[in-house]
Amino acid sequence: MNVAWALLWKDLATEWRSRDRIVAMTVFSFLIIVVFQFAWPNMEPEQIAQLAPGILWVTYVFAAVIGLGRTFSTELENDAMTALALAPGNRGWIFLGKATATWVLITAVQAMAGLVFALFFRVDLTIGLSGTATIVALANVAICSVGTLLSAMSVRSRFREVLLPVLLIPTLIPVLAAAVTGTTATVAGEALALTTLQPLIVIGGIYFILCFLLFDFVLDE
Amino acid sequence: MTNSSSSASPTPATSSSPSGSDRLGLTLKLLGWAILGLLPLYAWTVSTAPIDSVQGMMQKILYVHPPLAYGAYLGFVATAIAGGLFLWQGREVHDQLAIAGAEVGTLFCTLMLITGPIWARGAWGPGNWWVWDARLTLTLLLWFVYLAYMLLRSFTEGDERAARFSSIYGILGVVLIPLNYWIIDLVGGAMHPDNLEFEEESSSLGVGMGLPFFVGNLTLFFVFIYLLVLRWRVGMLRTEAERAEFDSRRI
Repeated sequence: MNVAWALLWKDLATEWRSRDRIVAMTVFSFLIIVVFQFAWPNMEPEQIAQLAPGILWVTYVFAAVIGLGRTFSTELENDAMTALALAPGNRGWIFLGKATATWVLITAVQAMAGLVFALFFRVDLTIGLSGTATIVALANVAICSVGTLLSAMSVRSRFREVLLPVLLIPTLIPVLAAAVTGTTATVAGEALALTTLQPLIVIGGIYFILCFLLFDFVLDE
Repeated sequence: MTNSSSSASPTPATSSSPSGSDRLGLTLKLLGWAILGLLPLYAWTVSTAPIDSVQGMMQKILYVHPPLAYGAYLGFVATAIAGGLFLWQGREVHDQLAIAGAEVGTLFCTLMLITGPIWARGAWGPGNWWVWDARLTLTLLLWFVYLAYMLLRSFTEGDERAARFSSIYGILGVVLIPLNYWIIDLVGGAMHPDNLEFEEESSSLGVGMGLPFFVGNLTLFFVFIYLLVLRWRVGMLRTEAERAEFDSRRI
């Protein structure tokens, strides 16, 4: 567990000093929102209500892919991956530390992107805010779990920038479908139903446990 | 647990010895004869099966499409189980089975994704090639997962690392299969039939359609196993040849 805390602290402190990932993800998410604004100019309020959750989640996932791509690339410098592999204790804790740090970063970027999105698309995100935040937090568990595991693999492969989204996105679509359905309901002012959260909790839970266990095999000896 | 990944380094497999390949060769012969016996029966039962009163001749694709789906799922389950065994024991024979499962599963999945829209177009009329039905969408995603599996194999440097990474991805991808099955109950399927309730005795198949459906499933199951074993054997023979070449260079 100490390994997880140490890595979480190290990743967040490094990010606080450099602000590389968070700036790149934020700027990229703003750009996607602007692109969508140009793709559908002068939308009627009914159209916005229908399309907004989908656009928001596409923005979130693309920004997350950018951030996840950098999760392990910094560990390649000075062969820090070997040091991680040599760390005492279960390697699942390395995964937990990395995934939690990524969860914090991605959630922060999503909060900022959500504000800009609400401004540009004239969506009142304060309606059902707690419900939307719960959906985002739960969906991020699945995104960060699978993303961290696949990032550790793709970073040791050729064409890693291409490989990560190709590996990640198909496994995340069920989570995204549940998240978009849930966000559509909460933004429309409906109460958050357990049936909305169920797929997110189940898929997120399965992915988290699997990734925690499988991470043991990712790092080279 | 920390050191269990050390077991994932490939070691010569006892069953990849010539006797192992021979055993697979014999299995292939037996399967080949079984398929040769089943194919005429399959053709006969399908040609004599009653023609559906609503869909007409197009409904006969039923005797091909679901068996392809079962083959696809079996292939992917084989990949995940073999991948798990590889991570546990580190034997190359399991990795070769995982590759075989992924390749044959992808072939069956591709054929399923081709026959499905043909059936849809025939049953629902022009323009209805594709519907974003829950099960259909997840099957398409499964297909993407296994294409990504093969890309991961080819983009990862080092045989042992490629085998380890693809084993992990194969296990992760197989989670989509039970989800695919139960998603109908979760979100409701638009086009595919509901999941079977085992206490129900009624069948959605019409009178006289059960036998060709059963024979179709049996035949394509044997075809699936034949292709799986064939690909597995090719992989093992290739590994043996590479090892022999390596040994001869050392001498």
